[in-house]
Amino acid sequence: MTEKPIQGEKRVFMTGNEVVAWAALAADAEIMYGYPITPQNEIMHYWTRLAPKHGRRFLQTEDEISAGFTTVGGVLAGRRAFTATAGPGNTLMQEALSMAEMMRIPIVQVVTQRGGPSTATVIYSQQEVTMTCFGGNGEGARIVYSTSTHQELYDYTIKAFNTAWKYRFPTHVLGDGYQSKMRESLTMYDPQARGIDMVPTEPSLGNEGTPGVDREPNHLRNTYNTEDELYDVVTNIMSDWEKYAPEIAEYQEYDVEDADVLVIAHGVVTRAAQAAVKELRAQGKKVGHFRPVTLRPIAEEQLRKRVEQAKSVLVVESAYGQLRKILDNAIYGLTTPITNFFKPGEGVTADEVVEEVNKLL
Amino acid sequence: MFRTSNILKLFAILFNNSSYKNYFLENNNFEVRKIEDRIIEAYIGEYASGKSENAVNRAVELREQGRKVTLVDLDLVEPFYTLRPIKKQLEELGIDVVAWETRETMGLGEAGSIIKPAMKWVLRREHDIILDIGYGVEGAKTFNLIEGAAENKDLKIFAIVNTSRPLTASVEDIVEYIRGLGKVDGLINNTHLGDETDWEVIEEGAKIASEVSKELGIPVIYTAADEKLKDIGITTDKQGFPVKYIHRYMPLSFW
Amino acid sequence: MSVAVPQMPQCWRRETKAHKFCPGCGHGLVLKALGEAIDELGIQDKIIFGCDIGCSLLAWDFFNVDTVQTHHGRTTPVITGVKRANEDVIGIAYMGDGGGYAIGSQHLVNAASRNEKITVILVNNTNYGMTGGQMAPTTLPKQKTETSPYGRDVESTGNPTQGPEMVAAITPESAYVARGTVSNVRQLKKYIKRALENQISGNGFSFVEALSGCPTNWRTNAAETWKFIEEDMTEYFKVGELKVPSKKKEG
Repeated sequence: MTEKPIQGEKRVFMTGNEVVAWAALAADAEIMYGYPITPQNEIMHYWTRLAPKHGRRFLQTEDEISAGFTTVGGVLAGRRAFTATAGPGNTLMQEALSMAEMMRIPIVQVVTQRGGPSTATVIYSQQEVTMTCFGGNGEGARIVYSTSTHQELYDYTIKAFNTAWKYRFPTHVLGDGYQSKMRESLTMYDPQARGIDMVPTEPSLGNEGTPGVDREPNHLRNTYNTEDELYDVVTNIMSDWEKYAPEIAEYQEYDVEDADVLVIAHGVVTRAAQAAVKELRAQGKKVGHFRPVTLRPIAEEQLRKRVEQAKSVLVVESAYGQLRKILDNAIYGLTTPITNFFKPGEGVTADEVVEEVNKLL
Repeated sequence: MFRTSNILKLFAILFNNSSYKNYFLENNNFEVRKIEDRIIEAYIGEYASGKSENAVNRAVELREQGRKVTLVDLDLVEPFYTLRPIKKQLEELGIDVVAWETRETMGLGEAGSIIKPAMKWVLRREHDIILDIGYGVEGAKTFNLIEGAAENKDLKIFAIVNTSRPLTASVEDIVEYIRGLGKVDGLINNTHLGDETDWEVIEEGAKIASEVSKELGIPVIYTAADEKLKDIGITTDKQGFPVKYIHRYMPLSFW
Repeated sequence: MSVAVPQMPQCWRRETKAHKFCPGCGHGLVLKALGEAIDELGIQDKIIFGCDIGCSLLAWDFFNVDTVQTHHGRTTPVITGVKRANEDVIGIAYMGDGGGYAIGSQHLVNAASRNEKITVILVNNTNYGMTGGQMAPTTLPKQKTETSPYGRDVESTGNPTQGPEMVAAITPESAYVARGTVSNVRQLKKYIKRALENQISGNGFSFVEALSGCPTNWRTNAAETWKFIEEDMTEYFKVGELKVPSKKKEG
C-alpha cells in the first residue's frame, strides 16, 4: 500500500462530492464502479483523479445495472468496493441491491438525491428515501445514513464501509444534490489516527486452496426451490436485522426535552429545522427538533418517546411524504397530531419552518 | 459597432457560404483589433478554487470605475455553481453577463453543457471582458472554443489557487497543476476556509503561492481576502503581495 | 460386482451428481467440456464461476470451484466486477441465449468492447427452457415456441441473433471468439480451452457460444434432437473459430 492519502488531520474547503471521494480513499476503499449521472459525477471525477496515485481502481460501466452488479462482484472478491448514483440510476441499481440484500453482500452505495419521479431535475430533492430504504423486491434489510453537512459526508462515508462489513447489510450514504455541490469546510482525517479501525474485508469467492481438495467450494446462490427454504432464509436475514437495528440506529435531538412542537426532518433539511428551533427558542417558544440520522433502521424507541411527549409534530421534507411513511410506521398507535410540510424537489429554509411552527403554536 | 444579436443574425444567414463567412470574419476581426487599452482577463483554476468569485469581483470593480464590462460564464464541466443565479443582480450594476439562466436551460445537467453562441464570439466585443473558465481535466482547453482567444495578445490568464483544497495544497502539486494549464500570466492566492477563514490561513496560502511563483516564474497578482476581514486593515500580506478584498457573491449562486 | 461409474472431470463435484438438467439436455455436455478444459489447464483453484438465471443456474453447485449464481443477464457484470477487483482469478460467466443476447446484451456488448479479461460461455438452445419454452433471440425462423405458436415470423420478430459474429465485430484482435456445438464435444473443449488460455495470458475477452439441445421444450426424441442441432441450427449458426489471437482460424 502506498502512503496514506491523509496524514493526521487537515482542515479543508471543498464540495460534497469531493468529500465522498476523499472519504472513500481515507477508508481504504479499493475500487469504485460507476456510471455518469448528475449530481453524482464529481465523486467519480475526484476518485479517478486520486485513485491511481494511491493504487486504487475504477471501472466505468455501461449503465447503473452493471455498476451495481460489478460492485457486487468486487465485494465478493473481497474488496472494499463502492458505487455512487442518483435518481434514475438509483432505480436501475435496485436490482443489484436486492441481490446484495439477499446474499448479505456488504456493498456501499452513495446516493446524491435528485428530483423525481422519472428524469425530473438533476438539482435536489429527498425523493429517494423510499427507494434507498426499501427498493427492490425485498424487505429493506439495508442501512441508510442521511447526512446533512460535509463533515458528516466524510464521517459517514467512512463509517458506511465499516457498518457494511461488520453487519453484512448493504449500506447507503444518502446525500442530495445540494450537499453534492455545496462548498464548506471540514476536517479530513486518517480514520486510524482517530482510533477508527477499518473492519477487515474477506473474499467470498477465490479463497486460498483448491475447492473440493483443500476446502469446500463456496457455492453462493439467491435462488431457492421451495417456499419453506425461502422462508428460512428471509426470516434469518430479518432476525439479524432486528437484532442489530437498535445498535445501528442513530439520531440527533435539539431542545426536545420540553418541546410542545416537535419538528422532524432529515438530511440537509435538518439545517433549516435546527436554525428554526434556535430562532423560536430565542423567542421563548417551546420547539424542538428530532433528526433521524439513520432512516433505516429508524431510532424507533427514542422517536416514539419524543413524539408522545410533544403536543404537536411537524414533518418537514423535500418530498411528498416519504419520510412521513417511515415515521408513521415507527410511531403507530400514538395520537399526537401531525402536520406535514412537504416540498418535493425544493429546498426548505429556516424561515419557512418558523412560519409553519408558528401556525401550530 | 456590431451588436451581438446582429452578429448572430448575420452569422446565421452567412454561415453556409464560405466566401461571405471569410469576408465577415475578416471584417469583424478588424473591428476588434482597433480597440486599445481594454482589459481581457480569464480566471482559471481547480474545481471550487474561487474562479467565479474572483471573476465577478473583478467585473464589478471595473464597472465601478465606469468601464463597460462583459462577464462570461464558461464553466462547462460544472454548469451548476455558476453565475446564473446572480446574473440579474450583476446586470443591474450595468455588467453585461453572458450566461445561461437556469430556466432557459432544458434538462440542466442532463442534456450536457451547451455553449451559447454569444460565448463563442465574445472576444469580438469591444470593451472589457472577464472570462470565468471552468475546471475539468482539460478546463484550459475551453479557450479553444472561443474564437480569437489563441491569437489575442491582450488576453491575460490568471490561475486561482486555494491551498485549503487538498489537490492544490502543496507547492509541488500546484506547480504540477499550473504547468498543465498551459499559458498562465499570473497567480491569485485565494486561500480560504469559508466562514472559518482567518489571516493565518490566508498567509499560509500566500507563502505557498510565493514559492510556486518563484518556481514557475509567474507573478502573484494579489491575495484575495473576504471583505469581512477588511477592518483589520491589512493591505499587503507577509509575502508582499497586495491584498484585494472581495465580496462573496457565490454563496447566493447555488444552482 | 463393481458398479460402472461414468467418467467425470476431476473438477466436477461428485456430491451433486447426477446433475439436475433434463435427460438429453446439452448443458451437461458443455459443462463436461468446460470441466475437462479446467482439468487439463490445472486451474481449478483459480476459477470463479458465475451462472445466470435460466437453466444455466442449475450449474450453481456443479463444480468444485467457487461459484456465484447471479440474476438474469447479470453474470457478465458480476464476473467483470470480480476480475477487476482480483486479477489473479480466472472468471467464467456461464449463461444462456436469453441472458447473453436479450436481457444482458448490453453487458455482453460492453464487456466485449472493453476487452474485459473474462471468459463468457453461452449456451444456445434456441429457446427459454426454464420458463417453459418461449421464443429466444436465437429461435430459428418458423420454429414453434410457446410465444411463437405459429412459428417464428422473422418479419415481425427479426432473425436469430448471430452472437459470436457480433462479438467478433466489436472486440479487438486480442479477443478469442468461437462457436462450438455439443455434437462435437472434443472441438468444443478445444475452443473453451483456448478461450480460457486467452484469459490466462491476459490477452483479453474470450467468448464461446455452444449450440445445444433442449429436447424437453423442443418435444424431440434423441434422433430429432441431434438432427435439429446438427442440421437446422448449423444452417444459421456456423460452427468454427471467428477470432483467434495470433493464430490461424479453424472452421
